[in-house]
Amino acid sequence: MKAPFSPYLAGIAPCMKQLVNDLGRDYDYVSVLSTDSVGFTVVISQHNKAVSNSNMTTERGNVVRVRRNGLYSEYAFNQVQPDQADRMADQIRRALEAQMALLEQTGSGVYSTGPVQDDPITLFVEKETGTLPEKADIQGLIDLLTRVSDQGMQADPGMLECSVNARSTHISKMFLTANRDMRQSYVYSEASIMNAAANQDGENRMVYEGISACAGPEIFEGLLDKGLEINEKTRKVMEAGHVVPGEYDIITDPGISGLIAHEAFGHGVEMDMFVKNRALGKDYIGKRVGSDLVTMHEGALCADSVTAFAFDDEGTLAGDVTEIDHGILKTGICDALSAVRLGIRPTGNGKRENFAHKAYTRMTNTVFDSGEDSLEDMIASIDYGYLLEGTESGMEDPKHWGIQCIMARGYEIEHGKLTGKVVAPVIMTGYVPDLLGSISMASRDRRVDGNGACGKGYKEWVKVADGGPYLKMKARLG
Amino acid sequence: MDRQAYLDQIESMIRGLDQDGYEITDEHTRGWEFYFIRHELDQNRVKDVDRLEITLYKKSEDGQFLGSATGEIPEGLGRDEILKALQDLLFQATLVRNPVYSLNQPDSCAPAPQESEPIDLAEIAGSYIRAMKQVPETAAEDINSYEIFVNELTTTFRNSEGIRIRSRRPSSMIEVVANARRDGHEIELYRNYKSGTCDSDKLVRDLTETLRCGRDKLEAGPTPKLGTATVILSTEAAVSLYEYFLYQMHAMLKLRGLSTWELDRPIAEDVIGDRITIRAVTELPNSSENRLFDEEGARITDKYLLTGNIPRSFWGPRQFSQYLGLEESFIVHNFVVSGGSRSAADLRKGDYLELLEFSDFQADPMTGDIAGEIRLGYWHHDGKVDVVSGGSVSGSLKDYLKEMYISEETVQYNSAVIPAVTRLQNVTITGVKDPD
Repeated sequence: MKAPFSPYLAGIAPCMKQLVNDLGRDYDYVSVLSTDSVGFTVVISQHNKAVSNSNMTTERGNVVRVRRNGLYSEYAFNQVQPDQADRMADQIRRALEAQMALLEQTGSGVYSTGPVQDDPITLFVEKETGTLPEKADIQGLIDLLTRVSDQGMQADPGMLECSVNARSTHISKMFLTANRDMRQSYVYSEASIMNAAANQDGENRMVYEGISACAGPEIFEGLLDKGLEINEKTRKVMEAGHVVPGEYDIITDPGISGLIAHEAFGHGVEMDMFVKNRALGKDYIGKRVGSDLVTMHEGALCADSVTAFAFDDEGTLAGDVTEIDHGILKTGICDALSAVRLGIRPTGNGKRENFAHKAYTRMTNTVFDSGEDSLEDMIASIDYGYLLEGTESGMEDPKHWGIQCIMARGYEIEHGKLTGKVVAPVIMTGYVPDLLGSISMASRDRRVDGNGACGKGYKEWVKVADGGPYLKMKARLG
Repeated sequence: MDRQAYLDQIESMIRGLDQDGYEITDEHTRGWEFYFIRHELDQNRVKDVDRLEITLYKKSEDGQFLGSATGEIPEGLGRDEILKALQDLLFQATLVRNPVYSLNQPDSCAPAPQESEPIDLAEIAGSYIRAMKQVPETAAEDINSYEIFVNELTTTFRNSEGIRIRSRRPSSMIEVVANARRDGHEIELYRNYKSGTCDSDKLVRDLTETLRCGRDKLEAGPTPKLGTATVILSTEAAVSLYEYFLYQMHAMLKLRGLSTWELDRPIAEDVIGDRITIRAVTELPNSSENRLFDEEGARITDKYLLTGNIPRSFWGPRQFSQYLGLEESFIVHNFVVSGGSRSAADLRKGDYLELLEFSDFQADPMTGDIAGEIRLGYWHHDGKVDVVSGGSVSGSLKDYLKEMYISEETVQYNSAVIPAVTRLQNVTITGVKDPD
């Protein structure tokens, strides 16, 4: 079935168009993004059960963007009087004028920016989905997650907790300007399982993994099988030791490959950072940043994931950008305003945490291309090293190309074979071109994960997905 | 309709349902935001947003279980739609079975919450803008960009037990990126300051120091492969160390067995360093987390959680606190870690690696594992000081707390007061180059 567009947004569309018209008398560009996204969160653990109709992407509200004298300003609100667009316009003018008065008092100049693209587009997209979150069988889901949690407790005698978290959102967004009327709706779902156990030394060990897709809550049926996988990993991690700090040959599983893609040349080529001269990538366009095996794509069209939208939060159509082609950095990703400042076309990467937040250049799907190797051959090629899996966190450093990835587990490889020994956790640091330059093998298979959320610095959390094949490289572990 | 009258209407609808309890939380955010590139305005934003969240509770027929469901009531719903949303929540609450607990009761001893005057967003934002112009920039060290967020948060909380709270507080943040450059090489440093309002003097002072760090970072060499070293933390990164202690006292971690700490029993044996004392407090100067009541209407008081490495009180939300049998528990927002017995200068003796900048320093609140990539450090050894960068620190705080030294001087980072200097022994260092 198709995910139906929000009747609420359809209802306020005439008012919002009137608002665009009214403000258009005072500003030379006006847009409105209106959102109405509904969903749920169900959390089941051994010690608590919780149901909510909220999650990080549920929202209902509006943000107006206007431009005058080269300055873009925004007003975010969620009280709409459908028959009083003129009063709302007055309120917005007054609020923004008050800010202008302060800027005048403080003698602040403006970073002047030209007009954004506003060529006519009419778009109405209702993506295919299964069950809608608002129609989900919550009772059945609670029962399923309870079984998954109970199954998780069987993983090891040291199990303390198995927490299962399922979220699903039916997103509806409407973008209006004088020339554009763009409307989209789609559904994405994600779930995670966290096994927590104490080993014989009393140390707590965690195994956390998830599933996600641009689909309805029907994907949660796969959680029991996923739980069995996680149970097996939990047993292995219980006897984990610590890695001896040093440089190793490593193989990254698709999840860690995705983490590296995200941190290295996801954040590294967000072009709002180019505007501020905060990214080294700006000076490396056309230059080598990785081995010949490194080809990387970014865009909402790259994978049918949690962030597979039809247009972004600034009314730019979704894209598929080849960032790195056989080791050569080709281009970055860009929001609408940064595109104007850089004199290029936006790539469909202007995203907001929600309607009340500013749009920045943000990632969607960031993915390494597959290679021609098998995982077995990759393991066989290593004399001593580790197969790494389990994303815990990562941090970008676009200015200096440092990289930090914290991974849950490393499986020891010796003389071309997995030994069964595990180290946990593992911190990988290094210099991005060295890391990508050392990639010497890539597997044929590929996976894209979308369970994480990404911040800009330490704020502005949005859904992203990333992935790739198994990759062999050299890295510093600690 | 006036917001309070709207909430009255919704509360009346809830009372008409067959529920066994409810909580209403309504938050209005009035915000001003300014985004600067260098000192030119990139974008200005106004935020005027309401968020209404309802939790409905329903007991099982035998009274042994209490179900709940929480939901946001979106703006723009009509009366029938609101009623439908509430009925859906109530149905979902019947599906959830948690051991029974009770909601917070009105505290007759608590001071009556006074709603303060509206926050002057223009004044606070103006202070930030003016302060940023006072930072002593040079051709070699300057401000790249900054983002200013000034919010007035007005919160109404009501529950079925009769609690009625309305409060207003300022919450601000400024994110600053600074650059330093020499001979065509440029580096950046990132800062993120949260507070109630703008403390201009503190901001200018800290950013001046940040620019000095930038100069040093330009000279940094690779971190040596030390294996292990004495590490000194003297920046906000250390807060996460103390949050490990704080969260090991959280009722939910205790309930789940993720904390094995017991009341009145030391958290570690054979400790030869300083012992940690943590106190929850209602207010700290200019904290963005100052409040008299927590999110569930519980009164926040000043209370010792940990004294000399001995747990004195767990804390947390009402549900988990009751499961642990805790009385007068609440959700902690501000906390103070007491200083130690030695001065910061004393702790900076001998060979040590003082780490000022990380890409992201973390102490896992459940495992105690610490990790962080080093972006700027000072390696004090053999009477010399080398500026270093690269590599990482790692290990377990469970091991490090046995010989951990803290300065008598303390410093405040928004909602946390911690020792100005923290010294850890035998910390694992993954270096980049062989030692000289």
